[in-house]
Amino acid sequence: MAPPNGDKGTALLEKLSRIDSGKPPFGCMQCGLCAATCPLGPAMEYPPRKLILQTIAGNLDKVLTSPSLWMCVACYACSKRCPRGIELTEELWPALRDAAMQEGHQPPAELQETFQNVFKYGNVLGKSPRQRLQWAKDLDVRVLDLSKDPKPVDVLWLVGCYPSYYPRNQGVARSFARIMTELGVSWGILGTKEKAVGECDRMFGEEGLFETLVEQNRQLFDEQDFGKIVVLDPHAFRALQSFYPRFGAWYPVQHYTQFLEEYIEQLKPLMVKPVEAVVTYHDNCCVGRRCECYDPPRELLKLIPGVKLVEMSRNRDDSLCCGGGGGGMWLDAHIVANGGRRLSDERVQQAADTGADTLAVSCPYELSRFEDAAKVTGLEGKLKVRDIIELMAESMDLGERSIA
Amino acid sequence: MSDNETLRIGVYVCHCGTNIAAVIDVEALTKFAEGLPHVALARNYKYMCSDPGQELVKQDIAEYGLNRIVVAACSPNLHEPTFRRAAEDAGLNRFLVQMANIREQVAWVTEDGELALEKAKAHVAGAVRRVARHEALQRQFVRITPRAMVVGGGIAGIQAALTLAEAGKEVVLVEREPSIGGHMAMFDKTFPTLDCAACILTPKMTSVKVNPNIKLLTYSEIESVEGSVGNFKVKVRRKPRYINEDLCVGCMQCIDGCVFTQAKFPNSFDQGLGMRKPVWVPFPQAVPPVPVVDPEVCLQIARGKCKQGCVEACGERGAFDFDQQEKIEEYEVGAIIIATGFKAFDPSVIPYYGYGKYPNVYTSLEVERLLNAGGPTGGKLILRDGSTPKKVGIIHCVGSRDVNYHEYCSRVCCMYSLKIAHLVREKTGAEVYNCYIDIRAPGKGFEEFYNRVQNEGVQFVRGKVADITPVANGSGPLVMKVDDTLLGHIREIEVDMVILAVALEPHADAGEVRRNFGISCSNEGFFLEKHPKLAPVNTANDGVLVAGACQGAKDIPDTVAQADAAAAKALAMIDAGEIELEPNTAWIDEEMCSGCKTCINLCPFQAITADEERKIAVIDQALCKGCGTCVAACPSGAAKQHLFGDRQIDEELEGLMNYV
Repeated sequence: MAPPNGDKGTALLEKLSRIDSGKPPFGCMQCGLCAATCPLGPAMEYPPRKLILQTIAGNLDKVLTSPSLWMCVACYACSKRCPRGIELTEELWPALRDAAMQEGHQPPAELQETFQNVFKYGNVLGKSPRQRLQWAKDLDVRVLDLSKDPKPVDVLWLVGCYPSYYPRNQGVARSFARIMTELGVSWGILGTKEKAVGECDRMFGEEGLFETLVEQNRQLFDEQDFGKIVVLDPHAFRALQSFYPRFGAWYPVQHYTQFLEEYIEQLKPLMVKPVEAVVTYHDNCCVGRRCECYDPPRELLKLIPGVKLVEMSRNRDDSLCCGGGGGGMWLDAHIVANGGRRLSDERVQQAADTGADTLAVSCPYELSRFEDAAKVTGLEGKLKVRDIIELMAESMDLGERSIA
Repeated sequence: MSDNETLRIGVYVCHCGTNIAAVIDVEALTKFAEGLPHVALARNYKYMCSDPGQELVKQDIAEYGLNRIVVAACSPNLHEPTFRRAAEDAGLNRFLVQMANIREQVAWVTEDGELALEKAKAHVAGAVRRVARHEALQRQFVRITPRAMVVGGGIAGIQAALTLAEAGKEVVLVEREPSIGGHMAMFDKTFPTLDCAACILTPKMTSVKVNPNIKLLTYSEIESVEGSVGNFKVKVRRKPRYINEDLCVGCMQCIDGCVFTQAKFPNSFDQGLGMRKPVWVPFPQAVPPVPVVDPEVCLQIARGKCKQGCVEACGERGAFDFDQQEKIEEYEVGAIIIATGFKAFDPSVIPYYGYGKYPNVYTSLEVERLLNAGGPTGGKLILRDGSTPKKVGIIHCVGSRDVNYHEYCSRVCCMYSLKIAHLVREKTGAEVYNCYIDIRAPGKGFEEFYNRVQNEGVQFVRGKVADITPVANGSGPLVMKVDDTLLGHIREIEVDMVILAVALEPHADAGEVRRNFGISCSNEGFFLEKHPKLAPVNTANDGVLVAGACQGAKDIPDTVAQADAAAAKALAMIDAGEIELEPNTAWIDEEMCSGCKTCINLCPFQAITADEERKIAVIDQALCKGCGTCVAACPSGAAKQHLFGDRQIDEELEGLMNYV
């Protein structure tokens, strides 16, 4: 039986029956676990359960035009818990968003601008590619720019958009460069040639743009001789681990927490300065909930003398998202305008409730999101937000003078 | 077969109604068969398995002197015995019959009629060439030891043991815990009739105790199993109770006499909600009514020093024996019924339900104990702080119907959740919210019970609870967050108590039991029956039967029915006195065996032993299941298999591949 929306409905359902991860949505038993799990579910006109119900029933016009289609921040909580193993986050939402855009329903303006930025400049911030190396200016360790000086390296480090351009994150990039050098790692970067990996574009249904980025990046990567890719951005990790191979672009990749964990024994004696802090760690969604990699970041924090690690009531599997994933970075206004809330505001409060004075993170988005949230919720000065790299670098006496 | 014998093969092509004939041109196939070497005649018939069909074969054997039969029909799993019997009736050795499976392997899986015919020809040609090489074999039988063992003393094991014993058969009933009774003994009432569980169970337990045909071994576990159908040798490990069962009269005065004045150790039977002393019985009606001593916490055993108030209380009966050691006893039995039951799912692995974190979140089994008059609260439904809940949430499908835990439906949770809802309202008058995905009430009187509970004012919320969070820090009320899928919005329901309707799952050591008894498990870990529809209590290992929740989650009525079915199967086997073995066993050509022992370790059924004197391998025909592993592995070609000889297989392959 053809669904009410004719060909376009058929095409979408056909696509959803051939998804690459998890199970297709047709097995949904309408238990509603997803909707009540979704941190933004109560604000959605079509929370995940209803989205599936309407999609299968063929009422595409309803879901494709609803503001709730643009409210998922890709926290993976629904996918993780779904009793029928349906992959909502990585498959259903992107497919529906792609369908919406093909139908001419535009995403919120802020997000469109981000797509434009990636399309024109290869980065989400709309900065000139020539400024990509700004973060490394006057850096006290040698940076090997493979795009100019191709040499075999063990680690191809994709610095990422935020750490390359955004002042608050540039310090993290510099510290990471120092840590890798201190560990004697042979590493290089792609310099001004580096481009966004494109995870948020795929999650937001810009599949065409994503495919272009995969092609461009594949060419860039294939020109180099490296052992593995290391990224600071958990989203880039997930994309390279799972989405790129679907286009035949397979590269060994590690998030920096996984990479550094392999150096634990070597790092131990390098932690010379105590960092007196009560620290709680926020599990990011991609490396954490999606890939169930919960221990490496904690092991790294435990290395640091003086750090007392405490857990938030919601941690690991059950961690609350910062609200920045899957394009959520550029959706705060849309979400709030449609009755939702900024999850980062709630999360910093949960962090403060533990009695911690420091919220440790391992994702470039989270630094600014949580710092903003701390300001809004009156926690500024009481709760510092710091990347694990910053805390480690401080203990190794390699940190940024201004921050340490 | 002597090479001089004149082969006269009869080929019979079955239409199977339209199952075969609608796809394969049976006339053309018959014509093809007629032209094959040694084929004396070929026929086709609408239903070969019918009486007239079988009669056809018998008459032809008599009239045309056929000495080999090929039936091109369905899978040999179904009708091979039928045609073997027909041949035997007509005076032909039953193993000179071969089936060509042109239904399952051709008609049902091939759409194109012409291709189907070609494939069917290949199968028939293979069967004809194979059967030409068949030899007359003798049927083999083994005697059956007229005694059964039942493993597990829950309601399934109790029922099976009683049925066998009442039929006059000896039964050895083995139970791991100190008392028989199993999970059913923990329950207060049973759905949907609200019978008191103890009232219907304890008479059966007493019957077990007094029946002279039942040898009851509690606090005992299976150590090893040897032998095969008809003749198993089972070693049972009897754990020390430190109390002599023969001398104890069950007065329980030792418990009062114990130097511990307070019961302070968690009672596992009460799910840890009640406390016990080092010397204890799980519940007052325990069978046997003999306490056990916990060696971990008994001062005399653990520290070697105690005033021994228990021994003093026991007085001149002298039942205490602190030197008692574990011992192994061996039992010879002809059939074994496995009835080891289930384990309740541990919900602490689901982070969002906060079990183990919030004190007012309970499992359904814990609540059964709270509701039970013999339980830790004397049947009062109270929270850990002693207060009575005013609002209670029951969450269905915890650990069931969830690919992250158990994909299957546990079948009983809907009904026991309704029962608990009823009892909670009856005992406390609390508001009750049953949060469910689908209500499954397919048994006798189940739907009516559901309706009754609805009318008693229980609230039904269709949705799976996503989060349980405390209203305030500490142990107070809880909020259940749930998408009410019928109202169409997300609700937050405040309750004082949450009951998790946990799944039934296989025991953690089910794998070990499976290996011991040589049976299989299905994906979810429950023991696998031989056929889901037609052999529901048999297993892959002949003589080993299954009953109850160890085979799959099920309720008490189904468990009892299955237990009786297993007992009936065991009875039939024992009463037959002997059992026929499959003919396709392996054997050793002693002249060729070099005694290298390669086959011994490879045999999955431990059927091969080494004759060290003659330096050859010996295959126990009763243990061999005909898997052919030794035959394939034997470096000198000494291991051979009846009905799977090299020439038989070669000829069949030749026929299959070069049939034109």
